[in-house]
Amino acid sequence: MKYKIKYRNLTIIITGILLGFLVVLQARSFSSVQSIARDSQANVFQEIQILKNTNENLSDEINDLEDQLAKASDQEQALKSIQDEIQKDKMIAGELDVNGPGIEVTVKNELAGIWFTDMINELWAAGAEAVSVNNVRLTNSTAGFDTLPNGQISLNGVILTAPYHFDAIGDKKTISEALSQPAGIIQRMKENIQNLDINIDQKDLIQMDKVL
Amino acid sequence: MEKGIYNWKVQLTFVITGVLVGILLTAQFRSAIPASSYPYDEYKIQEDLLKSYNDDQAVLKNKILNLRKEIDDKQKQSGASVQKNNLDVLEQLKQAIGLESTKGNGVVINLNDSPFAQRANTQGSDEFLVQAADLRDLVNLVFSAQADAVSINDQRVVASTPISSVGNTILVNNTHVLPPFTISVIGDKDLLLQRLNDPTALPDLEKRAKGQKIEYGFQPQANLVIPIYSGDFPLKYVQSVNAQP
Repeated sequence: MKYKIKYRNLTIIITGILLGFLVVLQARSFSSVQSIARDSQANVFQEIQILKNTNENLSDEINDLEDQLAKASDQEQALKSIQDEIQKDKMIAGELDVNGPGIEVTVKNELAGIWFTDMINELWAAGAEAVSVNNVRLTNSTAGFDTLPNGQISLNGVILTAPYHFDAIGDKKTISEALSQPAGIIQRMKENIQNLDINIDQKDLIQMDKVL
Repeated sequence: MEKGIYNWKVQLTFVITGVLVGILLTAQFRSAIPASSYPYDEYKIQEDLLKSYNDDQAVLKNKILNLRKEIDDKQKQSGASVQKNNLDVLEQLKQAIGLESTKGNGVVINLNDSPFAQRANTQGSDEFLVQAADLRDLVNLVFSAQADAVSINDQRVVASTPISSVGNTILVNNTHVLPPFTISVIGDKDLLLQRLNDPTALPDLEKRAKGQKIEYGFQPQANLVIPIYSGDFPLKYVQSVNAQP
């Protein structure tokens, strides 16, 4: 009888340990997803796709540069080539008003600073050629969202207030699909922001002013 | 009678325990797809393909750098025909958008995974690994502190640089970067250090660093060199308003 009781106790203890182990393991697996949920867990096929697209874009850039080099070598075309390059670089630097097709993402909720960083990152990653938030162009000289002590977000000295308008010029279908894909930025925001009110509009023409 | 009730209670306990264990086992096995579910040869093909694309990318970026250098040299040799003021404007623009290397004083930020973490064998996010979001937050912080130029492991970071992750692989300018991560920042070192020392600026990163889950530190550094941006600036959809007919 004594032996039977000990055997039963032992079984219950082992079962309890096993159960506890599994509870902890499971809780940790959930908590790790919650704590760092800002990057999509894309798989290797998406990685291959990203690299393939990047290499195609780089090849296009090489073709453009080879054309530019040919023009730069020609005395008659050299000046025009430089003026074209100045025009292009001014657009990139935000020194010219620009327009083009693209998307407008509107968020009516208040947002923490990380969501500005992440949304802008997703727009560039999806191939946006020019980006602005509440009419402030994002360039090397204006990048950097600052969270003020009262929680307000500032960009290039401008305090941003809701509703937030993220404008991106580029392939509107590609950008829109990238934001809306499973485990994409929109889904991650919905999982982390209560009653998220977000809307994506594909537009034929988006206007962006130069950086002041 | 008492013995019967006792046995019934014990049996019920085991049944409930068994069900709970079953539920947990099911939940656990469904919570992540193990990497080992891929056959080895398929995995090898994927690895080879990734390596091939990465190798191609390095060659293409190198070619872009060489072409930009050749164009720059040709433009400078063109002399009077291109007018010096055009070249000066172009030089300033290139500096502004990252098409010139930049030298100066600033800050170096170092980040690394926990020595106990294995990036290759970890599924999904892990707080013991440096995340793309950590790099994004730091880059955002230094740009908001008016950094002049930034690089991550010698990848020049410009406004349009995506810093993303694919599984546990981190891509900067869609190029693989591996830990340890070195973020070089040229700018006002006092302002940069003031922002980096603010414990409220990056609470999640600070918490993981204090808990020794990742390695994180920064220090001022003189004579930094930030390399030229080697990626592309596609302008297929955007156009200047002034350039339209």
